[in-house]
Amino acid sequence: MSTIRVDAKVVMLGKESVGKTSLVERYVHHRFLVGPYQNTIGAAFVAKPIQLGEKVVTLGIWDTAGSERYEAMSRIYYRGARAAIVCYDLTDSSSFQRARFWVKELQNCEEVIEQVLYVLYHILKWETLKVGFFLSSVNNGPRLHTILFVALQQCKIYLCGTKNDLITADRSLRQIDYHDAQDFAEEIGAQYFETSSKTGNNVDELFHKVAEDYNNAAFQFMSEESGVDLGQKKDSYFYSCCHNN
Amino acid sequence: MDGEAQNESVACEKATLAPVDRLRSNRAESPTPGLVEGTEPGAVQKSAFFAHAQSFEDLTAEAEEKAEQEGVVEDSGQTEDELQVLVGERTITEQHAQDVSPQSRSKEEDMSSEAWRSHRKHVFVLSEAGKPIYTRYGSEEALSSTMGVMMALVSFVESDKNTIRSIHADGCKVIFLAKSPLVLVGVSQTYQSDKELLRELQYIYYQIVSLLTLTQLNHIFQNKQNYDLRRLLAGSEYLTDNLLHRLDRDPGLLLSAVTCLPLSNSVRDVVSSSLQAAKAKNLVFSILLAGDRLVTLVRKKDQFLHHIDLHLVMNLVGSSSSFREGEGWTPICLPKFNTAGFFHAHISYLESASDLCLILVSTDREDFFNMSDCKQRFLERLTKRTAYQALKEALKCPSYSVEQVGIPELRHFLYKSKSSGLYTSPEFPELYQSDEEQERLMGLYQDLHSHLHHPVRPLRFFYRCTNKENLLAWVTNGFQLYLCFSPLGTKAMAVSAVNKLLKWIRKEEDRLFILSPLTY
Ligand SMILES: Nc1nc2c(ncn2[C@@H]2O[C@H](COP(=O)(O)OP(=O)(O)OP(=O)(O)O)[C@@H](O)[C@H]2O)c(=O)[nH]1
Ligand SMILES: [Mg+2]
Repeated sequence: MSTIRVDAKVVMLGKESVGKTSLVERYVHHRFLVGPYQNTIGAAFVAKPIQLGEKVVTLGIWDTAGSERYEAMSRIYYRGARAAIVCYDLTDSSSFQRARFWVKELQNCEEVIEQVLYVLYHILKWETLKVGFFLSSVNNGPRLHTILFVALQQCKIYLCGTKNDLITADRSLRQIDYHDAQDFAEEIGAQYFETSSKTGNNVDELFHKVAEDYNNAAFQFMSEESGVDLGQKKDSYFYSCCHNN
Repeated sequence: MDGEAQNESVACEKATLAPVDRLRSNRAESPTPGLVEGTEPGAVQKSAFFAHAQSFEDLTAEAEEKAEQEGVVEDSGQTEDELQVLVGERTITEQHAQDVSPQSRSKEEDMSSEAWRSHRKHVFVLSEAGKPIYTRYGSEEALSSTMGVMMALVSFVESDKNTIRSIHADGCKVIFLAKSPLVLVGVSQTYQSDKELLRELQYIYYQIVSLLTLTQLNHIFQNKQNYDLRRLLAGSEYLTDNLLHRLDRDPGLLLSAVTCLPLSNSVRDVVSSSLQAAKAKNLVFSILLAGDRLVTLVRKKDQFLHHIDLHLVMNLVGSSSSFREGEGWTPICLPKFNTAGFFHAHISYLESASDLCLILVSTDREDFFNMSDCKQRFLERLTKRTAYQALKEALKCPSYSVEQVGIPELRHFLYKSKSSGLYTSPEFPELYQSDEEQERLMGLYQDLHSHLHHPVRPLRFFYRCTNKENLLAWVTNGFQLYLCFSPLGTKAMAVSAVNKLLKWIRKEEDRLFILSPLTY
């Protein structure tokens, strides 16, 4: 056995000290480390297999550093990710602002991919691009393949309010209303969780959901007969720009 | 200063002069230590892995040249008043001490307090616009007025076409290092020379560059002169704190060298060749550490690692437990290699509770999985061999006691082989177990070191008696040696101990040093 095969790339994003590392630590090692806070340097990767019925799905979790210093690097972590767990600290409203920033980044990244795909679609004059078709017959070089592959695998966002135990202990500490967070999650099409790495509350549920969603999507991906119609996206920026000249 | 200092190098060199010969056979047979670089005990047989083993000179040369051209300004009358604010004759602006922001790190301290002022060594970093970036003690916010004074000093002297280098007053030294776009200031109550203090500031400068690159620093300040750099450095202060702590404690930083895990030659060779086999296209350095000790280092052909860069890597790894969780992947600038860009380091421990940490340095930021694969291959290869067990055994005694050398009056020593850039030193003996005593001994070594590296009158040989210990320092083209003896010994005894010690090191050299570094 050499390197572990990873099924789904998961990236943890959020302001520093919101508790990303603690979440991973709780989920992977079932523990909560007390003692002085150690900020992550760069990013840490850990692969975690998870049993879903008969199947085992291995999550490759990227725990990124929240420090602004590494912001430029973060793109390489969320590129190609199937899930982004965007964390904020329930007791710190500035961290919620930062979470909004990350959501925007993720959405921008997806938009770019859609646009690239749209342009490709026009250049190459593909009428309908079926998933099965391109998987077997695209040999326009690895880059194109990667772009198409990445584009068809959407990155799902999971919004996660952390340190729930602090709120349970003292309600006045809550700085982000439950419903505000819930509404925001709905608006961006995300799942919403409130967790505590200290008590373990909701942590397994969060990662389990990530793995399940991946598994369901992968199932659809393989069995879908109709394929993906790329021509549907007519309102994009590139569409108008291409048709103006 | 008590004791005596003389330039005795000539006499001593004659006494032990060995034939200048780099042949391997000769070197192994001859018990007499060579005095020429490349033949001393611990010398490397092929090319070393460090870029410039000249060390100290290399580090301060830049700053010195500048000073020589521009002249040194000390104690100008007009600065006296402002200086007092720095060294704390008067109370430091109290209203500022109150608005220390509550979320600032735990080293909160009342800046107007006696305790704050009595720290032995303060270090401040500020931008050229005078914005605080780092302070060793207390919080930067509370210091802004002090920083203002420092900037006033710096710009006052700069406008005179001079660069202010140091101010001496009242048992206190203030040292300035202008490294555009940063200004570093050290305020010291120790006996260290300006040159030593400057060297430490330089280290702090490199620490900051290693986090951001100089290119990024310049870019930021070109766009916005009064940018608050703490935003980008947030969460890294402890790296600088730890580096300063190491500068007080770690002989490696003093000697510009690193020390190795004592390991039998054959075991080290297996580890090295396993590491060598796990190569990849963009891999530049593979470093295996056991705590702060080097187990082995493999480098790309023609690429050298500078000891400062290695110290920065060690500081990064040693300061953070965050690499214990999974595999770390971080951009890191190695400023002595190139201040412009980032390398990307894969950092992981070989086993979860182990001290063995592997650092794979790649040029490509997309290389994580390749590096992860290299680690896997290295580990697979190594675990199949008995050498791995021997290596883990060796971790249990990462040092040796001075008794093993068999010189009764010898208490402790530092020996650096110049050509390899490696040093060896026994563990601190019973007498120097406490933190204070260790720091005191390091202080004595620092003092010897600055005499041997005095910018105007460097000594080759230095013997000094105090009522607590006798000290001897000796530098040749091949090595640097610092010894600490019991105060009862004589100088003659010390000199003869040196010969005995050098023979012992020669005998043990394949265990204590890495004699044949590998390239991919
Ligand atoms: N009470 C409580 N404290 C928590 C919880 N999760 C994290 N913390 C604390 O919050 C601090 C930061 O946690 P980390 O997990 O290191 O934060 P991070 O998001 O990884 O931070 P960066 O690596 O700097 O981005 C630590 O002191 C943790 O002990 C939680 O669920 N409850
Ligand atoms: Mg973290």
